[in-house]
Amino acid sequence: MTAIELHGVTKRFGDTVALSDLDLSVRSGEIYGFLGPNGAGKTTTIDLLLDFARPTAGEITVLGMDSGEKSVAIRERTGVLPEGFDLYDRLTGRQHLEFSIESKGADDDPDELAERVGIPDALDRKVGGYSKGMIQRLGLASALVGDPELLVLDEPSTGLDPNGAREMRDIVREEAGRGATVFFSSHILGQVEAVCDRVGILRGGELVAEDSIDALRDALRTEETFRLELDAGEGPEEGLVEPVEALSGVSTVAMENSSLVVTCASDAKPEVFRTVEREVARVEDFSLSEASLDEVFAAYTAEAGA
Amino acid sequence: MSVTIVAKKEFRDAVRSRLLLVLIAVFALFTLGGAVLVSQVGELFGLGDEAGIIGVILALQTPASVLVPLIALVVSYRSVAGERESGSAKYLLGLPHSRRDVLLGKVLGRTGVVSVAILVGFGVGIVGIVALIGSFDPLAYLGFTLVTLLLGLVWVAIGVGCSSVTRSSTRAGILGFGLLLLFWILWDVIGLALLYATDGLDRMGESIPEWYALFSSLPPGSAYGLVGSALLPTEAGFEAAGEVSIFLSPAFGALVLLFWIVVPLGVGLLVFGRSDV
Repeated sequence: MTAIELHGVTKRFGDTVALSDLDLSVRSGEIYGFLGPNGAGKTTTIDLLLDFARPTAGEITVLGMDSGEKSVAIRERTGVLPEGFDLYDRLTGRQHLEFSIESKGADDDPDELAERVGIPDALDRKVGGYSKGMIQRLGLASALVGDPELLVLDEPSTGLDPNGAREMRDIVREEAGRGATVFFSSHILGQVEAVCDRVGILRGGELVAEDSIDALRDALRTEETFRLELDAGEGPEEGLVEPVEALSGVSTVAMENSSLVVTCASDAKPEVFRTVEREVARVEDFSLSEASLDEVFAAYTAEAGA
Repeated sequence: MSVTIVAKKEFRDAVRSRLLLVLIAVFALFTLGGAVLVSQVGELFGLGDEAGIIGVILALQTPASVLVPLIALVVSYRSVAGERESGSAKYLLGLPHSRRDVLLGKVLGRTGVVSVAILVGFGVGIVGIVALIGSFDPLAYLGFTLVTLLLGLVWVAIGVGCSSVTRSSTRAGILGFGLLLLFWILWDVIGLALLYATDGLDRMGESIPEWYALFSSLPPGSAYGLVGSALLPTEAGFEAAGEVSIFLSPAFGALVLLFWIVVPLGVGLLVFGRSDV
């Protein structure tokens, strides 16, 4: 069972392509981290899920229903915490929650919800006097109304201090614990790393990686960067690139001054070493670096050629 | 269901506007002023106690026809565009409401707010009329109040419609208040210019050309006057010599008011329904 399914989704704003041929699938019951730098198209994707915007091309299914035709039915079963949203200054927190509860046909208790997101004392105050963090918490409380099957949280830790962000992640875990699917977008790896079962990384409107956090880490951990310092002036170094590139397990090879920089699988290293020695150059020194998760993220999200 | 939930929220929100309080106060002052004026005029013409219905309508129609559209636009022109600017539209539409229900709910809720303003204004006006003229016809008052509530609904629909076709509440305001100015001032000027151009002006004494009757009945304010005229007793009405154009009948006025509810909302829904939040 899939909770969210995007197939060949493209969204253009005039000449700008925000999303290009995006395929994405979120399984029922999982916490899916939707990761990417600002401007990658995360909010655009979420806008399409909720029918805030319509795709230029492609199909979107949420909870088994077409996102455009059955939007109200989808939103009846979905809790939404949008990015860059605002609330009504002249209404109190309680009035907002009452409105959300009525709209969802739910019977939640506003006081319990406020307690859960940590704003019980502010509930009867007008939202005009709320801080950013309090508005974010009230938005989260509203998303929780009616125990939705799907939670769509767009940059949910916006405006929250580290403690607030941790409380928010605890709530996400609780919600997943009762069986909800959580679609959680963030540009900060740390927010997603701690809670998500699976992660999709979006860059420039395209999904560049999709896997579990561990698998993504492993993918880059086994992919080590192998830097070989060559004895300068000893033979035609340029001629080295091709034979090394041809080895199995090697992804990239580049010359940087007198160094040969190779990214390859761990077990390909001896062969790389032997090849270099055999071909021409004497290796003066070498170094290895293992990828941290931040580098994984950076590697996937860095602009091409950077 | 969804419509009434949104309407309730809209009412709660918009009724708390400070500007609205100011406008209600101004409205009440005007209806009171209208009552004073009518009592003076009544004495002048020796109408005395017979002023009744005419008194009510004269005292209330002028302030209502000026201030109700103004209040309705102030209450409605930011209703959709403002929510899209601030981002509260994302909260509202994250909940299970269709865009159609949101627009209808906004019109209902904000018409409720305008109705409060009208009832307060007319309430004050009626106190003035009873105190100064000494009599009033409750049935005519009720009828006239209903017609005026309808005018409020019309201008709220226009305001919400204007607010739905643009992302900017400034532009929505320019559009809405521009329409108000068009109907208040420009419409008559255009009508007279057209009459002059077609030599109709020379024949004004004989009868009004049909097209001009139609043209002048199209603004919501004129239609409001036409519908209100149904409340006038025939002997007190301004029965014209000969046939009166069908375009000047209360029924046609009602049709025009209906047009000004349906068309702005229809256009608003068409545009807002298709655009990104």
